[in-house]
Amino acid sequence: MSRDEDTIIAEAAAWHAASLHDDMDWDGFTLWLEADPRHNAVYEELALADAVLAEHRDTLRAAPDAATEAANDSEDSTVVRPIFGRWQRWAGAAIAASLVAVLAIPQFLTSSQAYHTGAASQTIALADGSQVILAPRSSLTIEGRGQDHMMLEGGAWFDIRHNPSRTLQIDAGGVTVGDIGTTFDIQASGGQTRIEVGTGQVFVTGQALSAPIKLAQGRVLVFDGKAGTALVAPVATDAIGEWRSGRLSFDSAPLALVAADLSRYAGVQVTVPAALGERQFSGTLVIGNGEAALRDLSQLMDLELGRGAGGYRLGARR
Amino acid sequence: MESIEAQQAAGGLAGLFSLHRAELRRFLNARCGNADEAEDLLQDLWIKASAQPSGPIANGRAYLFRMASNLVLDARRAHQRAMVRDREWSDVDGDGSALPEDRPDPTLPADEALAQAQEARLVRQAIATLPPGAQRALRLHRIDGLPQAQVAEIMGISRSGVEKHLAVAMKHLRNALLDCGLIGPATSKGQKPSRGGEPRQEQRP
Repeated sequence: MSRDEDTIIAEAAAWHAASLHDDMDWDGFTLWLEADPRHNAVYEELALADAVLAEHRDTLRAAPDAATEAANDSEDSTVVRPIFGRWQRWAGAAIAASLVAVLAIPQFLTSSQAYHTGAASQTIALADGSQVILAPRSSLTIEGRGQDHMMLEGGAWFDIRHNPSRTLQIDAGGVTVGDIGTTFDIQASGGQTRIEVGTGQVFVTGQALSAPIKLAQGRVLVFDGKAGTALVAPVATDAIGEWRSGRLSFDSAPLALVAADLSRYAGVQVTVPAALGERQFSGTLVIGNGEAALRDLSQLMDLELGRGAGGYRLGARR
Repeated sequence: MESIEAQQAAGGLAGLFSLHRAELRRFLNARCGNADEAEDLLQDLWIKASAQPSGPIANGRAYLFRMASNLVLDARRAHQRAMVRDREWSDVDGDGSALPEDRPDPTLPADEALAQAQEARLVRQAIATLPPGAQRALRLHRIDGLPQAQVAEIMGISRSGVEKHLAVAMKHLRNALLDCGLIGPATSKGQKPSRGGEPRQEQRP
């Protein structure tokens, strides 16, 4: 039976998709390549096409900019030099393509970039060189022309390039963090939001806040949406975003927050009865092994660690 | 990231390289279709692996294979770029025989940027003409970087549905880029350029 090109392309596409993952079967792939010389040829074309795509990923991602680009198109085309004879013929097609892009814009504008993490964190590079490290079990949506509007659920570390001409806004758990260039860490879950500033300063606004809060370097804001409270306290700057190196430090943090952090960063589900939620914990937990971190916590707090439905539960010692 | 399971192999990547040299060579042979080039790239891989600081690496063997895979692709990509550029020159030279120094201006960074912008537009155009499902899957997976499982969730289809969409997308993209000359058809066995033998040294590697 002769294997038609479509089959080979489908297989090559599957191998290519798999090659991007850690569990790629490289030996199986080698055998597949050896089975038929056409396999390698098709795979290579697909991989090259993907490489071209990857090279322009940032440009393609900035889809809302298509309008700007379309506006500049005619200008660009006129400065095409003769040596780009081939390209010039393509310029017409490129303009046509841009028109398509303009028509498609409403779709682009409503679409946004969404990131969701599982057990591992993810580093997200923004077009302006800023960086966001999204914590495990978190999601971040990025919108806006200059990637300047984000929505966070869970935790993330932000390293934002200084740019006074734009204000980055991050909605997280009922408050909005405004920033023009600093490093800070946000954790928003279970009705509580914690913002820790590593360098520079941010402004925090929200409907539940009577006035914007200026949060400077080395300060933490803990906002509780349900209780309607916002507390500002000092925080050791070297402890900010510590989860990135496998540790969590707390200074008089409510137990509910510690439990939420462990669930997110250490991957252990733990519940705390409401009566204990306000008890405060100070100390550092190593989160490489979630269960061990929980045991440490229960001992330090003199609490009983038990098995609950779908995870662990911390309770008062009887 | 810190979240990867630290797995420190004795001797680091270089040690792993020695351990898996035969399989890596076989893979490179299959990928290059040319034993000499495979041997060259194996050498490059060894140098790169030895230069890596011996830090924790999750699944070092897969890491080495991915490095090998990327080396082949980088070499091909550089070759493709040179071909595209050569063709642009030929269009001007007529017969493509003019020496670099006779050309209007051998280094044109502005045009380089322009070429990049135009390349981006061609890719965008190629993506814009994809069937809607394939287009959405490709955007989410390869541009937004979401894992396939998540793409399936967002699109409300099965994982294999996503794979089919992606295969369609990659097939179309390949055809479109072949058509406009952004990538050339894969050369057959024995026609690969030998490395270092690029005649036009002024071209970007």
